[in-house]
This record gives sequence, structure tokens and C-alpha cells, in this order.
Amino acid sequence: MRRKASFFVILILLLSPFFGDVAFAQVQVRVRVMEASNVGSGFDSSLRDLHDQLGSLFSFSSYRLLKDEKVSLSLNQSVLLSIPPERSLELTLINQRRVTAEIRVKITRQGRDLLTTLVRLAPGRSVSIGGPKRGEGTIIIALSRLQ
Amino acid sequence: MWKGGGSVKSECSSISKLLEKYFDQEVTPKERSLVEGHLPDCPACRMALDSMQNLRILIKSPVEEAVEKENFPWVWEKIEKGIQRKERLGLWDFLKSWLDVTPLLKRKILIPAVAAAVILILITAPLLFKKTTSYPTLSVVEYVESETYNVMVYELETPQVTVIWLFEGPEEESSTS
Amino acid sequence: MDVNEAQLISRCQQGDQEALKEIFNQYHQKVYRIAYGVVRQREEALDIVQEVFIKLFRSIRQFQGKSRFYTYLYRMTMNTAIDHTRKMKKVPSFSMDEEEGFQLSDDAERRPDRILDHKELEARVKWAMDQLSPDQKAVLIFREVEGFSYQEIAEATGSSIGTVMSRLHYGRKKVQELLKDYVEGGR
Repeated sequence: MRRKASFFVILILLLSPFFGDVAFAQVQVRVRVMEASNVGSGFDSSLRDLHDQLGSLFSFSSYRLLKDEKVSLSLNQSVLLSIPPERSLELTLINQRRVTAEIRVKITRQGRDLLTTLVRLAPGRSVSIGGPKRGEGTIIIALSRLQ
Repeated sequence: MWKGGGSVKSECSSISKLLEKYFDQEVTPKERSLVEGHLPDCPACRMALDSMQNLRILIKSPVEEAVEKENFPWVWEKIEKGIQRKERLGLWDFLKSWLDVTPLLKRKILIPAVAAAVILILITAPLLFKKTTSYPTLSVVEYVESETYNVMVYELETPQVTVIWLFEGPEEESSTS
Repeated sequence: MDVNEAQLISRCQQGDQEALKEIFNQYHQKVYRIAYGVVRQREEALDIVQEVFIKLFRSIRQFQGKSRFYTYLYRMTMNTAIDHTRKMKKVPSFSMDEEEGFQLSDDAERRPDRILDHKELEARVKWAMDQLSPDQKAVLIFREVEGFSYQEIAEATGSSIGTVMSRLHYGRKKVQELLKDYVEGGR
């Protein structure tokens, strides 16, 4: 009996890297909402890790942080955040693999869907959604997966 | 505050806040007796409750009718087929089915079984290394849907940037570099 | 969760399709009720039932028993049904100009005094429900169709009881306003 048990334990340990899908309890995501504009200059210190990414694509002179939240996503449970201007951001963890998490992102306004997207976030990777105008600025939402 | 077609008396403003909870049977005994003591003298609150009841009937009745007359033809069979289509005999399933060798062990042929296990590991070891050295190369954005915006997706590897840009209208100027 | 159900779930988690069939036999009507409550159309509701149980079989290993099984299943059903309505991109029979407000189609406007038949009333109820946000719709269906308590709805939607009550209140208020000819007392 002990020999059988040892055999299976050793086999499982040797083959454990094959486990493709591991159910982690939660996925941590950082949501930062910023207003990018060409009025004034400045880069909010909380956005420093995104500097290279944003700078490589956009030519805004100013990035001002409006909101910074960390949310924990569990499978199939939605988290709702309010974002300017007068919109809601809904995040739902749809699937989770060893490295990437599939997250459905929905932006709504007064109950109406404006955008729905499914993104794959790996630790250290961020996805930015931008475009809606707010005064003289443009809203950009950066979603980052925390380790 | 429910207005049920008529004006709500100012003195029942606190009771009217309990009406929904009362209707949903979520009130405490004390709240229940407050509401039930108030209703005989307040047609507006009674009308508000009637409205809620009518709404419930409108929402629920078609569902009840539909369920009653439904016989779910072939639904389970379609589910079975759907599962079979999606099932892939992955490596783990293959190994798991191989692991079911207890009858062999009972028949005291452990040595050949161990030998087969070693051979299996040697064959699949290259897959092990291939699988774990790189991040998946699937794209970051699976799909984007919007009935309101025109959408553009930028995805670069160096630096690792993924941006979904929403254009609010044809007169809007893109601010990208 | 009773012992039988726990055993069924455990067997299902190990890939036993017979266990899934037993779960199906037990829950398919309830899943259909929720699906039909959202889409209000038979074929779509049946498609959703099928999709839910296939999804359940694939994801049940991730069910850890922290919530009750039926709330886990009903949450999956609601999310699938709401995703289904989004994918189907139903064209409403009423125009929905956000700035001008909701307007009836020309046909209905030409017959304001007509007594609507059963099907048209159902269509109007569906339209009114479709004006709700997914969260409000989910809460309203769990409450009015399934008779869930606030606690059960909170568990099924992953929100607090306060949020449930708020969504229920505003959801009912909105639908009542859109269907006021049919819900006001005395009808």
C-alpha cells in the first residue's frame, strides 16, 4: 500500500508542470483612470510605470491621475466602479490560466453598454482603454494585473 | 417612494420606505406591524402595493406559462454532444487514464508498469520544457464590441503596449502620435 | 448543500457525465426560468440552458463550495443569458434615441386606444426589462421570477444586500414607469 502511494506521489510530482489550468482564488487588478491632455505639463507619479508605454503612443503633455483602485476579481463575479465622465466600469473574471487571466471589461453609461471587451492580462502587463473626452482632456483607463 | 398613481400622504413617508421590504417579506415583525397598521387608512400605499403586485404578475406569468408548457426536447442530448465536442483528450487526461492501473498492480506486475511510466516521462519531457518557458502568444485583446464608438486596437510587443482607442464621432480628432 | 448534492458535484468535478445529468434533471427547469426571464423567447432560452450546463461541466472543478451550489449555478445562468442578449444584438422594436427618450414604433403609435393582445404585451414587458442595466435586470428576475430573498440575491450576484435593495428599487421604479398603464392599481 505504501509502495503504491509513493509511486503515485512521485509520478504526480514529476508530471505536475503539465497542469495547465490551476484555479487560483482571486486575481488582483489595478485600475487607474487618468485625464490626458495638452493643457499644462506633468506626469502623475502614480503613473510612472506606464510612462514608457503611454509616451510611445501618445503625444499628450499632461497625464493627471483621477482614480487609483485595486480590485480583487473572483471567477464570474463582477466588480463595478464609477469612472468619469458619468460612466461605470464593470470587470468580471471569466477564466484563469496559470499565467493569464481573461477579464471581461464593460463600460456603461446609464445602463447602456458603450463598450465590451475581453482582455488577457498577465502579471506585469497592462491594457489601456482611452478616447472619451472630458473637457479639454481625454480619459484613459489603465488596467494592470498585479503579481 | 412609490407613487402608485396618487400623491403619497406626508405622514406615511416613513411607512412608504418600508413598502418594498414588506412586499418582499423582508421586514422585521415590528416593521410588519407598522405597515399593516398603516395600510387600512392609506389608499395610496395600498395602491402602491397593488402596482408592485401587478408588476410581479407581468414579469413572472409569461415565465411560468413558458416553463409549464416546455418539455425540453433533446436538450440533454445536445448538452452531451456539446461536451464531447469541447472535450480534448489532453496530456493530463491521457496520463490520468494511464494512472488507473491499480488492477495491474494488484496482479503484481508493478515492474512493467513502472517501466512504462518512466518511458512515458521520457517521451513527454520535451513537451514539459516547451510548455513552461514562454508566455502564451495569444493576443491580449480577444474581442471588442461597441455600438457607440469606432474602435481601434493597438498591440505592440516592444514596449508591451495594448491600447483600445475609442473614437467618439467622425469630427473627433485622434490624439495618437 | 446536502450530502447527495455534494456527492453529485464531486463526481461531476471528476468528469462523471451521469452526475451532470442528475444535476441537469434537478435544475434544468430553474435554469430555464431564469433564461426565459431574461430573453423571453423559447429557442434562445433553450440554447442558454444547453450552454449553461456545458459551461458548468467545464468549470465545476473551480467550484469550491464557498457559496451554495444553486447560487453558483444561477449566477452562471444569469451571466450567460445576459451575454447571450448582448451577442444576439437584438434590434428593439421601439426606437431608442438616448437624447429624445424612448419612443414607440409607428405601428403602436397609430393604435393608442387598441387593446394590446397577449403577445404584444409580452413584447412590451420584454422591451421594458431590456431598458434595465444587466445588474438591475438580474436582481429583478431573481426576485420576481425566482422569489429569492435579498440574501440569496446578494450571493447570486456577488453584491451586498444594500446594493440588491437599491438595484431592485430603481429597477422596479423604471419598469413601473415604462409599463405604468398596466401596473397602476386597479388593473
